[in-house]
Amino acid sequence: MKQHLLVRLIFLFTFCNIGLYAQQVTGVVTSVEDGLSLIGVNVVIKGTAVGTITDVDGSYSLQLDGKGDTLVFTYTGFADRVIAVNGQSTINVFMEPQSELLDEVVVIGYGTIKKSDLTGSVSTVKSEELIKVPSSNAIQALQGKVAGLQILSTSGDPGADPVVRLRGITTLNNNNPIAVIDGVITDIGAISLLNANDIESMEVLKDASASAIYGSRGAAGVVIVTTKRGSSERNTVSFSVERGVESVANRVDVMNGREFATYINGINPGTYNNLDVLPDTDWQDLIFENNAAITNANFSVSGGSAKSTYYFGLGYFGQEGVLPKSGLERLTGKINSNYKLTEQINIGLDLSMQLRDKDNAPGVINSALWAWPIDVPYLADGETFAEVNGGNPVAAIEYTNDNTKSLRGLGNLYASIGFLKYFTYKSSVQFDLNQSQTKVFNPKYFVGPLQQNEENDLSNETRNVNTVIFENTLTYNQTFGKHSVIALAGYTTQDSREENLKGQTEGLLREDELFWYIDAGQDDFERSSNNFRRSTLISYLSRVNYSYDSRYLFTASIRRDGSSKFGPRNKYGNFPSFALGWNVNNESFFNIDLINRMKVRASWGIIGNEKIDGNAQYSLIVPGVNGVFGENEGQVPGATFQGGGNPNLKWEETTQTNIGIDIGMWDDKLIAEVDYYVKQTDDILVPLEPIGYTGIGSFRSIVYNAANVKNKGLEWSLNYRDRVGEISYRVGVLGTTIKNEVTDIGEDLGADSLLVGGDLGNGQQVARTAVGQPIGFFYGYDVIGVFQNAEEVANSPTLFGQDVGDLKYRDVNGDGKLDARDRTYIGNSIPDLIYGFNVEVGYKNFTLSADFQGQLGNEIYNGKQAIRFTTLNYEDKYNSYWSGEGSTNSDPRPSLGGVNFLPSSYYIEDGSFLRLRTLTLNYSLPKHLTQKLKIVNSNIYARATNLFTATSFTGYSPEIGASSAVDGVIDRGVYPVTRIFMVGLNANF
Amino acid sequence: MKHIQLFIILIITLAFGACGDGFLEQPPRSALTVGTFPETAEDALLATNACYNSLRSWQINTGGFPLLDMMADDAVKGSNPGDGTAIAVYDKFEHTATEGSVERWYKTLYEAIRRTNLVITEVPGIDMDAALRDRLVGEARFLRAYYYSVLVRGFGDVPKVTEIDPPLDLGRAPVSEILNELVYPDLEYAISVLPEKSQYAPEDLGRATRGSARGLLARVKLFYGDFGAVEQLTRDIITSGEYSLVDDFAQIFVSTNEQNEEAVFEISSLPDWFENGGNQYGNTQGVRGTPNKGWGFCRPAYSLIEEYQANNDPREEASILFLGEVIDGITITGDGSTPDTTYQNGQIVEIECYNQKVWFPGTDSRESFGHNRRIIRYADVLLMHAEALNENGKSGDALPFLNQVRERARGGNPNILPDVTTTDKNALRDAILQERKYELALEGVRFWDLVRTGKAEAVLGPLGFIKGKNELFPIPQSEIDISQGRITQNKGY
Repeated sequence: MKQHLLVRLIFLFTFCNIGLYAQQVTGVVTSVEDGLSLIGVNVVIKGTAVGTITDVDGSYSLQLDGKGDTLVFTYTGFADRVIAVNGQSTINVFMEPQSELLDEVVVIGYGTIKKSDLTGSVSTVKSEELIKVPSSNAIQALQGKVAGLQILSTSGDPGADPVVRLRGITTLNNNNPIAVIDGVITDIGAISLLNANDIESMEVLKDASASAIYGSRGAAGVVIVTTKRGSSERNTVSFSVERGVESVANRVDVMNGREFATYINGINPGTYNNLDVLPDTDWQDLIFENNAAITNANFSVSGGSAKSTYYFGLGYFGQEGVLPKSGLERLTGKINSNYKLTEQINIGLDLSMQLRDKDNAPGVINSALWAWPIDVPYLADGETFAEVNGGNPVAAIEYTNDNTKSLRGLGNLYASIGFLKYFTYKSSVQFDLNQSQTKVFNPKYFVGPLQQNEENDLSNETRNVNTVIFENTLTYNQTFGKHSVIALAGYTTQDSREENLKGQTEGLLREDELFWYIDAGQDDFERSSNNFRRSTLISYLSRVNYSYDSRYLFTASIRRDGSSKFGPRNKYGNFPSFALGWNVNNESFFNIDLINRMKVRASWGIIGNEKIDGNAQYSLIVPGVNGVFGENEGQVPGATFQGGGNPNLKWEETTQTNIGIDIGMWDDKLIAEVDYYVKQTDDILVPLEPIGYTGIGSFRSIVYNAANVKNKGLEWSLNYRDRVGEISYRVGVLGTTIKNEVTDIGEDLGADSLLVGGDLGNGQQVARTAVGQPIGFFYGYDVIGVFQNAEEVANSPTLFGQDVGDLKYRDVNGDGKLDARDRTYIGNSIPDLIYGFNVEVGYKNFTLSADFQGQLGNEIYNGKQAIRFTTLNYEDKYNSYWSGEGSTNSDPRPSLGGVNFLPSSYYIEDGSFLRLRTLTLNYSLPKHLTQKLKIVNSNIYARATNLFTATSFTGYSPEIGASSAVDGVIDRGVYPVTRIFMVGLNANF
Repeated sequence: MKHIQLFIILIITLAFGACGDGFLEQPPRSALTVGTFPETAEDALLATNACYNSLRSWQINTGGFPLLDMMADDAVKGSNPGDGTAIAVYDKFEHTATEGSVERWYKTLYEAIRRTNLVITEVPGIDMDAALRDRLVGEARFLRAYYYSVLVRGFGDVPKVTEIDPPLDLGRAPVSEILNELVYPDLEYAISVLPEKSQYAPEDLGRATRGSARGLLARVKLFYGDFGAVEQLTRDIITSGEYSLVDDFAQIFVSTNEQNEEAVFEISSLPDWFENGGNQYGNTQGVRGTPNKGWGFCRPAYSLIEEYQANNDPREEASILFLGEVIDGITITGDGSTPDTTYQNGQIVEIECYNQKVWFPGTDSRESFGHNRRIIRYADVLLMHAEALNENGKSGDALPFLNQVRERARGGNPNILPDVTTTDKNALRDAILQERKYELALEGVRFWDLVRTGKAEAVLGPLGFIKGKNELFPIPQSEIDISQGRITQNKGY
């Protein structure tokens, strides 16, 4: 790169004053990709040193002077073009970007490697893709871009982290991949503290060869984030701003006032005699804001000198949210700096900072769906809140005050030193410091007996989560002859601490915000809590990458991790990997012209998981288990067991085998990558309820290495780009299949052989995890119709209370009785296929791009409709209720609750969907305009997000996540994902 | 170059020397671990107090709900028809081994037993005041006996656990073994070491007493038909002079008269959430709607109301809260979406009403956590004594004890609840059983009274009770699954 620029400069000074002669050739060089003119393209007469470079308009002119008749156009990042002049005086040239991948350097753990030398399965997404989706979290941009990666925007709540799953669900506990931000190992949520504009690239490490270097933490995958750095050759100022609005894309259809009253009359005839006078309140209308604003503004300066480089970025992101009191404001700062002390010694600091202010959304989504439509929000005076059956959501919003402010800094302070020509030693201190404060104030209010707060109350909680990593690596990099070796050895320690301090009080002097402090409350009600956790890790790591003649590639790595979370006998775990690659196209026998590149890869490795609570090995004795005694009753302190522990805990291990092929055809116009993987996870750390007489207690579990799960699938990504006349286009298709199966659960541990999950909060648990089934499958009665008449009821096995018009459940075990044993598999929430495709079309200065994303074959449990703790409004489908023999065989008679609301297939919905994730129209400002403004380049765009979704799912959005894999995917009433329209402007100076 | 080499050596030394062996040892903070507690006299007291904590646990009352009353003929499920539908099966004896309430009840009883085992196995080895040590072990053994007696009465044969970490291959031990080796020795020990109620300091009111231990042992002996023992134990309580009946029946349960002269064993609770000293037992049954005192489960059965009224029994007024009733200045309006009256075939089968015995004043639902659940009342002791005398062939001697309870219920009105005079053993047995129904209604004893007297089929049969099956609850299915069938199921489930 440096050399190219140098050459260009030399050319510039050599040729800029040459006068005009005969045999002059002129023309404009533009990029095929976006139709923009290319500045600084080398144009040389073949076989000579004579040439020129293109100017800011992409124009050139060159005297041939009989020195030759062929021009060679070269430009970094683009394929060379060789054109015979044949007497033409004007030659306009389109240049095609060279395969992005051929010489691309890929970031892998603790280093980088040429893409062509890579043996692992790694996907890269570059900066321009990352800024396409308006979101506070850059990881959203990977949605539908990386084969095998499933990202679900499960909530429209501003700042909500998406659910991220790589290659299925490997474990029963925490399935989040880890993030490595500028070398700092942290959680996937930390990506949200970065501004997408500051990110250079994100790489997803998918197979064991790539992720085993992260040992104990790589099992669910690794996302490496590399931020932008300054260049020592050019100072750049970038500015971007986008503004937009969002609204709830679709409402959940519920009964209106008349329908509701009619339905209730179906249960208790004559309850509502005059349907015409009943109110008809649309609660969703009352709680959602339309066109809530989103603002995103970013500014960065970068550059440097021969001795140092810098990148400085500042960003603001503001999102009001479609629900009142749910807004987010965020300021991000980024500083990356590097100083060259000597030719051999570099020091630097990479620092990411975030200030965040979030109003935590009031939990009113469900009450808006449950509140009776024949109730009204206010009394006749128009301002006093009215009691509403199912809760008054408008009042709930009014009385919610819940805010979290946080400050998080993530940094890497490093020094590196090169010695003995081939060696580099790097030492760094890395830190992730996160401090947050959550304040919740509930005023005193009375809306109704079930919606009141008898005394105002306040809680104030401070949380500090700090991690410090000390990392030392030694790298050896040498090429001799046809051999190329990169070897790495390292030692790291990690120390994570977490402390909470929470105070609560009641009866504040005044309710004004000025009094939202513990001191303003009554001493009698003051309570506090404080706890601390610390966990530590020691790791030794090493890796060798060897390449022979750029044909045969070999990688081996091993990491040894020791963790404080495990008992003395099992503290350490070893995580090896091996991989082979073969660049078939570099073989002399390979002469298929169509295929310019072909690599076959195979890898095997073991990766671990230690995402459990640090105290899981201990049987704790805690205070606060009090008795109450005395003439003047009072608490008397007590202390005893809190659950149990497992001192024999050991590492969870995932063995992953991967076979893949990468192909480039027609000079990389078509790039295809296909992988087949099998992931076997053993000794999964599972919290299980042990046999009851051990006295651990109800709803208490102990972590065991108890289960084995297998995931396998095929994943592919195909990208094709070409040009027809002035129209350039690009098409990408990617997808992955997943087959998930539990192969063993804790049978030998005296612990439960199946795991129960999916608690709806009403005593119903709708999910199970059992051997031979996918994790967290839905479990309940299988509906086979509706009882049409008394005879049918009498002749069928029934549950207690079942009668004519009720759902008819299948007698699964065929014993002629219907009971809990007849509950069965009724669906599962792991999709068979996750896919995405994108299309981009460019014409002159315009580019139109569309990203689609979807999944197929998964089910969702409609939990929000199944929960009936009292009489609540009903979703639309209940309007087609059974009203007499033959009326319907799919929906039950009207009922308030009970037997038709048991866990059953009636609440299972198809969660398949296809969503137009983004649609963007981009316009690059013409050169003559930008030139006047002294702008290098600039573009304006309009973008729609979530414009359209094809699905039969009846909730707000089929993109629903689960907090735990054993719960399945249940729609409990989520903050709806929104439709967003944005316009924006980017400029680089 | 030399400098650089030095620099590297320095860094590598630093890096690998930075962490000692202790770095990977991170013990829990602000909590002890097993093996380090209890070690001192203070610890012994803490560990013992924690055994009482289980009594207030929401899970200890049959899986969070007072199912026992619901299953008896004095109460129905109650609450809103749509709420707690999972437990409606108990009302009709259609519950199965997979219904969660049973599992939670069973597991929480064993959790409580583990807490008592910690005291019973560790405290005797502590160097401390011997009298206090014996008392604390006595309290723990009383509570272990209480929890085990509830277990065997509810589930029959159960695993016998006397260790903190029991082996994982236990099977069911016969009821007789649990009684003879655990419950009886524990209670006899408690009787020998525990102070009488009056001997405790005022701040210890609510701890298990000698009277509590005698009362509990009498209750267990009564259940298993050892009337000789019951007669002696209840006589000891009566002659101890520690207890007497509260003059006015209506004053037994009011919030200002907790741990009164009639309390033989009672669970003290504060009007606040569980973690602050409350017990959700009262809240679970509290008035639903307006005032918002709770969920309204365990509704007094309509038949109970009819019987009270047929007898002009004033205990109706003190036991049942009706809609429209004004109590402590608060009008009971009830729940908007619960039917006030439910008919079946033109007959009233249920009216919206609530268990007044758990009423706690105030309009705050939290306050209803303050209800002290009465486990053993002196009136129960008198009735047990009467029953034992009658069964032991001393029917005449039994009458005064029975009539003492009736007289108090009468409240000075000579026209109602006349003294029982029959000395026919069978007639008197029935009279005592009926008296227990009205006196102890909604207090969790009726169902077991019907079971132990063999009357369950006759009384509860129409409600779904099956003889030979429903005398016991099912062993939780999870327990059978985890033990791979080593722990067996009760008959009929």
